[in-house]
Amino acid sequence: MFRHALRRVLWSVPTLLATSLVLFFVTTLAPGPSDPLPRFLNLDPQDVRALAKRALAHVAAADPSQEAGKRELRRLGGAALPYVLPQLEALAPDARRRVALALAPLAERMQLPVGADLARPEAAVLFWTRFWDDRGLDFSAVAVNRAVTRLVEHGTDLRESDLIVLDTLALPPVIRAMANTTDPITLARLTEIASNASQRGAPLSAKASEEEARRAAGDWREWWFVNSTDFVALDGVDRAIAVVTDTRYGRWLKRIASGQLGVSAIDGEPITRKLLARAPITLLLCALAMLVSFALAVPIGAIGAWWRGRAFDVASSVVMFILYATPTFAIAEVLRRLTATEAFDSARIGLAVSALAAGSLAILSRWQRTAMLDIARQEFVRTARAKGMRNGRVLVVHALRNALMPMVTVAGLHLPALLGGAIVVEEVFGLRGAGFETMRAIESHDGAWLTAVLVAAAIAVTLGLVASDVACSALDPRMREVLATRHGRRLR
Amino acid sequence: MTDEPLLQETPHPSATLDLTRRKESKPPAPPRTSMARAGRAAGPYAAMARIVQGPLARSRFARSGAAMLAVIVLFAACADFLAKSPTQVSVDLLLPPLTHGHLLGTDALGRDLFSRVVHGARTALGLGLAGAMVLVALGVAIGALAAFVGGMVDSIVTRAVEALSAIPTLLLVLVVGATVEHPTAATLIWTIALTRWTELARLVRAEVLLVLGSDYVTAARALGASPSRLLRRHVLPNAVGPAIVAAAFGVASIILAEAAVDFLRVGPPDTMASWGEALGEARGHAGAWWLIVFPGMALLATLLSLNLIGEAARDALDPRLRMESPGSTLEM
Repeated sequence: MFRHALRRVLWSVPTLLATSLVLFFVTTLAPGPSDPLPRFLNLDPQDVRALAKRALAHVAAADPSQEAGKRELRRLGGAALPYVLPQLEALAPDARRRVALALAPLAERMQLPVGADLARPEAAVLFWTRFWDDRGLDFSAVAVNRAVTRLVEHGTDLRESDLIVLDTLALPPVIRAMANTTDPITLARLTEIASNASQRGAPLSAKASEEEARRAAGDWREWWFVNSTDFVALDGVDRAIAVVTDTRYGRWLKRIASGQLGVSAIDGEPITRKLLARAPITLLLCALAMLVSFALAVPIGAIGAWWRGRAFDVASSVVMFILYATPTFAIAEVLRRLTATEAFDSARIGLAVSALAAGSLAILSRWQRTAMLDIARQEFVRTARAKGMRNGRVLVVHALRNALMPMVTVAGLHLPALLGGAIVVEEVFGLRGAGFETMRAIESHDGAWLTAVLVAAAIAVTLGLVASDVACSALDPRMREVLATRHGRRLR
Repeated sequence: MTDEPLLQETPHPSATLDLTRRKESKPPAPPRTSMARAGRAAGPYAAMARIVQGPLARSRFARSGAAMLAVIVLFAACADFLAKSPTQVSVDLLLPPLTHGHLLGTDALGRDLFSRVVHGARTALGLGLAGAMVLVALGVAIGALAAFVGGMVDSIVTRAVEALSAIPTLLLVLVVGATVEHPTAATLIWTIALTRWTELARLVRAEVLLVLGSDYVTAARALGASPSRLLRRHVLPNAVGPAIVAAAFGVASIILAEAAVDFLRVGPPDTMASWGEALGEARGHAGAWWLIVFPGMALLATLLSLNLIGEAARDALDPRLRMESPGSTLEM
């Protein structure tokens, strides 16, 4: 049993991956700023070393794109220096001067003590050569990590200026530290280093509220996810992995897997928090609707099938068939008009659940009726009757028990429909759940939220299917074979 | 058909939808042991054709559904003669039905509601049919291919079916409508068709696997039948049953999805006269009951007729499908 459950859970991993492919495709349909990254396979992942070398070559050769090369060198900053400064010696004298001059604004950004003579080519070359001789040892991964750790442990201006000198090379540990610290003063120092190095965003003030601090940290993590490879050197295994991960799909998946869903375009709130706040309402609606519709559908379907063709069966079948053809939004709208309650939240939730349950009820009762009809034909039912058992007892003890089995599967299969219906009823009754928020996100083109809600829905449905399959096979060992054939092995 | 009570009690051992049977029902057809044996006499599709002409044509569900659908199709076809332009505005705002030459009244912009409902039939049926065609073609092709080729292809299709069924359709349609630059009705149709072929593909696959494992296919193989002959003669005819059922429910699903999206006011702008849009616009006008009743009834009648046909087709063509597909599982 446990093995079976485990296998079912593991099978859902490739399914989820396949779903993520679809969702990635759907959510990147929007024509955004053109992304140079390939979609699925990046055979030549660009790290800081490759970028720095290319920019250096442009500047040294003084070719038409040397201005772009200069800008690139300044953007890459400290992270590029280990690949630029040692090369200076090997360059021709005038190329060396050009590179040194291009780096001059960097010295200012690093707040290095320079004289006014950095504008003179000869002085600039001398300055950078000396700088690398003096400080080159600081530009190693170990030294950088240690500097950041020390700053987090005990922040002083001196330690901060050490990191400012390291510039973009300090970004990886700084961004990592942002996620782990809640102290506003440390966070202010960290954001100051990051925004100085990347020339983006304003540093957080030390008096910022916790809310602002969290938002800023989220914003930095978000930026880092997109731009990290520009400031990190990829070696060996990292480089091999980057062939797959440093693609649009790879980054998309990495962000989602690590919960980096970004911030909402509507109010700038982190999507993850928003989702956690809204989803319970939607899940509550769905769970209640499922409960109500099952509680009604099972007796209606079972009784209808057991006393087939009687007045109850005919009446319930007709009602259910009409209900089945009625869209949930129409039911919800009619309910809203008939009651016209604006005030009570609980009343609105009740109405929303009824509207949602009405649609499910029609489908579920038809399933239950069909399942029951199948069982009623079985020989053990006839045997039970022949023993002289009362009809009602045969129904409950022998027939219904078995006819409930398919309904467990149905419960799982019905989840996507319920989630879709939840959007509609939340919108009609103005319940501020995930569906309501989705409609607002559609109106204001909040792509981050839409991605998040699609992924969350797909995960919820997959989990629901796994749960219903596992429950099914736990209740009925015969189902294991059936389910196994559905996953991989062929029917024969 | 109208002179008999709609629903009767007729116990029948193999009927689940016995409501549909007549009391004086024809002698039961000889038991169908395999589709191909029946088809050998007169082409592979003869058995299917016989069922469609026989039990399906006699089924009360199918008849009433077809009658309702015929009326709706007639309205849709003659929309231009029957009604004025659905977009023409006038100063007669929110007139109740049967006033000033407006049979069903007017809406908040003074548009004739009757025209909107009639032209809405055209929109709904057109979109539904177009989408269902793509959906059925995809479902049959992929399902049959998966079962016929097997191996890797089968695993990939199985995964794809599972992956796509995990995404709520309405949510997907809404998101695609929001992310695509210029959403049109075609966007909606393609979204649904490209993601909802899974149900049909699963059924076709199971059906084809059963056929491929059967003795008559082994015999045909032993006689040297080529794969293409197997496909044409034995595999595809067996996919017709699920395909017809899926087509009926597919049209219903797409009409429902289109209505839901338009109701939420995020639908494509080019479906000018849509029932869903009419219902959505009615939300702001609490007193005007006619704005919600007439488009709602039209939508209900269309969905009901399609569901009736789908149910009847499923019962007649393949009783085994009953527990497999309960019809359209879209809920909107």
